[in-house]
Amino acid sequence: MGTLTIACFPGLVGSAVYDFSLKLAGAATEKGHKVNIWFSGNATASVKANQKHLKDYPTGEKHIKALLEKGVEICTCEACTVARGINKPDAIQGVQWNAMHWYLAKVHASDRVLHMGGE
Amino acid sequence: MKLGVFVSDYGAAGDTLQRLKPDGIILVLNGVYHGFLKEAGKPSPLLGMAPKLYALSEDIETRGLSPAGIDGKVKVVNYGGLVDVMFTDFDKLAWL
Amino acid sequence: MGDVKLAIVVQRPQYKGETSRLGITHAISYQTVEVLLDDGDTVTPTLCFMGEGVLGLTKGQKSMEHYGITSTEAHMKNTLLVDLDVMVCKEDMDRYGIPADTLPDAEEMGAEKTIKVVPFAEIKKAIDDARHVLFF
Repeated sequence: MGTLTIACFPGLVGSAVYDFSLKLAGAATEKGHKVNIWFSGNATASVKANQKHLKDYPTGEKHIKALLEKGVEICTCEACTVARGINKPDAIQGVQWNAMHWYLAKVHASDRVLHMGGE
Repeated sequence: MKLGVFVSDYGAAGDTLQRLKPDGIILVLNGVYHGFLKEAGKPSPLLGMAPKLYALSEDIETRGLSPAGIDGKVKVVNYGGLVDVMFTDFDKLAWL
Repeated sequence: MGDVKLAIVVQRPQYKGETSRLGITHAISYQTVEVLLDDGDTVTPTLCFMGEGVLGLTKGQKSMEHYGITSTEAHMKNTLLVDLDVMVCKEDMDRYGIPADTLPDAEEMGAEKTIKVVPFAEIKKAIDDARHVLFF
């Protein structure tokens, strides 16, 4: 089994790329791979806790929590997140907060990297 | 190293895809339309840009299409199969 | 594991989307990644601009004055100050009629590197030589 690092920049409810990234992470975990997820740009707003899941809208929180339970490391770009007015006490527990070098370090150790930049 | 390129839009993939000369193309999200639509009777030129072509079944069915209707050059995989393709068919991945 | 080469490719201009700017800053962060790696491990990015990505690089940007944000020009100078290899696609510069002398440099700030305008074949080589490729 290998290590997959996924970077997702498009945001929750803004782009289905976000949903794709979480589903892919789940599928890779089910296959026994180690998975890391880096949120930057608009995706960082998705780490805010207490999201309301409305059927007409995609959701992030429950999927993020499920992935964290399975051992996926999820990290949000601290600068992008606080720039959006979201601070650590308001965020989903278990999500790491770090700078871009967290992502590069994970990339260094990965067998596959899927970088989904913005739109 | 073999390069697999994800295509997530139907609009012209642009110069970048052709310039990359990928070993494979993976159609996801709106990219799956490349496997179905014909303009002026012709299939998408993208289907000739790589020797291996894949499309994600969940994204096909989400759009009300049937995997059975996709162009014969494209292999349909689900998310689990996609993970296998990513690890076994390619060494590097790009998302356009 | 040693050195891992990355190709960071910017293919959209800045100031509408933010992620093309983030491509530049992600590349710059290679300077600090060693704090998270084992001794002797490094990441070496090559920052490449192609397609419409070559549009946002000209000197004289006034983003701070009009929008209160650091300009791409400033970020590009930082890339040179941290010794990043930066390549801009010549064919795309020519396509859009952008002269090479409109690109910024950081010589007056002590940078030894300059932005290189290169044929796409060199960018393709950087992509081929890289262990991972990140399109912004």
